[in-house]
Amino acid sequence: MTTRPMITAILATTAFIAPAAVAIAAAGPLQITSSIMVEARSAAADGTTRVTLEKPSRVTPGDKVIFVLSYRNTGAQPLANVVLDNPLPKAIAYRSANPGSPAPEVSVDGKTFGSLASLRVRSPDGSTRAANPNDVTSVRWRLASPIAAGSQGQFAFQAVLK
Amino acid sequence: MIGTTLIRIRFFNASEASWFQLGYAVLCFALWCSPGVVTPGSARAETVAGTPIVNTAGLRYELNGAATSITSNTVTLIVAERLDVRLVRDGEGAIVVAPTSAPRPTVVPLTLTNVDNGTEAFALTATMSAGTIVVRSIVIDANGDGLYDPAADLALASDTTPPLAPGQSIKLLAIVAANDATAANATLTVTARSTTGSGAKGATYDGKGDGNSDAVVGPTGATASVTVPLTTSLAGPALIKSQSVRAADGSQNAVRDAVITYTLQARFTDAVAGARIADPIPDGTVFVPGSLSLDGVALTDTADGDAGSFDGALQGARIAVSLGQVAAASVHTVQFKAKIQ
Repeated sequence: MTTRPMITAILATTAFIAPAAVAIAAAGPLQITSSIMVEARSAAADGTTRVTLEKPSRVTPGDKVIFVLSYRNTGAQPLANVVLDNPLPKAIAYRSANPGSPAPEVSVDGKTFGSLASLRVRSPDGSTRAANPNDVTSVRWRLASPIAAGSQGQFAFQAVLK
Repeated sequence: MIGTTLIRIRFFNASEASWFQLGYAVLCFALWCSPGVVTPGSARAETVAGTPIVNTAGLRYELNGAATSITSNTVTLIVAERLDVRLVRDGEGAIVVAPTSAPRPTVVPLTLTNVDNGTEAFALTATMSAGTIVVRSIVIDANGDGLYDPAADLALASDTTPPLAPGQSIKLLAIVAANDATAANATLTVTARSTTGSGAKGATYDGKGDGNSDAVVGPTGATASVTVPLTTSLAGPALIKSQSVRAADGSQNAVRDAVITYTLQARFTDAVAGARIADPIPDGTVFVPGSLSLDGVALTDTADGDAGSFDGALQGARIAVSLGQVAAASVHTVQFKAKIQ
């Protein structure tokens, strides 16, 4: 019964994003919220650079955006075989899992999922080549163990606006 | 296809009774990278300002053995407009300015490109450093040939370009003239600014972008300037070569069968005799028969009664135009077309 690792940067801004993140979509024991964030860097007192996530404004082509999926089991029973999937918007190019988040399985066709290194892309001439992050059309996470009642977690990945 | 084109101009200096031959290297003749040639197809398309990025995640789980699926909230991000502009001069070197009495005004050809991810109009200003050379107006070079055609090349309304699509270029001509005959040098500065706003990179104009998106100033500062040295008294003649490309699909892509129009502008400060312009046909292109002209008048390809000829030798194909006796402070323009192979 593990609770998924939390991303501290997101925790710090949860209160801020909650109003923007719209109401939880469906009433049920498991709830999921998606949000699009951008990184904000600031100098911390100890000389390091602190990265927080904030609500985006003025995102232009080439900018990095972070997609965050938050889930919570509000019911009284554990939920098993949980799969979160996120087809990518057309103008979004996948880059990587966000630091602190487990890596998703990715797909270049929306059907076959796996690690990026395991996927190949078919060219118009019939040959195939290794997939790269720009080929990714969908990401998903499969939870290995059930989500305990009352527990929650987050997944996040980095992408670039084309 | 990247190489150097050498143009020759030979003239007879009557006062010294001798022939001179000048060679001008036109640098960076690159069919696909010349700054004046726009290749919108090769640039990676950017997401257009105002586009909504809509994301919804799905979730499947089992409760007491029953499979359930739900979707998340939908989150929408509106792509902002990044304000950027590029302005370059077509050609290089100092431009010899003809006096106001000259039949043909002197023009400075420029190319303005909207490198924004939105549709944008640009305000232009032109300033002259000092002296007797003045800038009269900036016009749109409607056919992009680098020559001023008063009937077709209209002045910018309110010194502002029409709205340009993302990646679109427009050819402009700054029309300049020398107010008196005394020798003078000057520097023309033309500046283009995004009408939505400009300033330091990152400056914002909320709600002013396309589709009510926010606008933000990009790396260019949404401002571009080009400075062009001008003179009324170059020692000897000058020859300026420029090019424009037109593909079959109407674009300016330098692809096979696209036609390049070369413009050779010979500017003379003094009266000379026996002036002759010769230019090899660039490697990788073939001369378009019947395309040679002098000052807008067609010339035949054969070496006959008129001034022009085309020599189609396998090695060293070239055009040549004899200008003969040339008046002081005159400008002559030779054009020809070559097709990319």
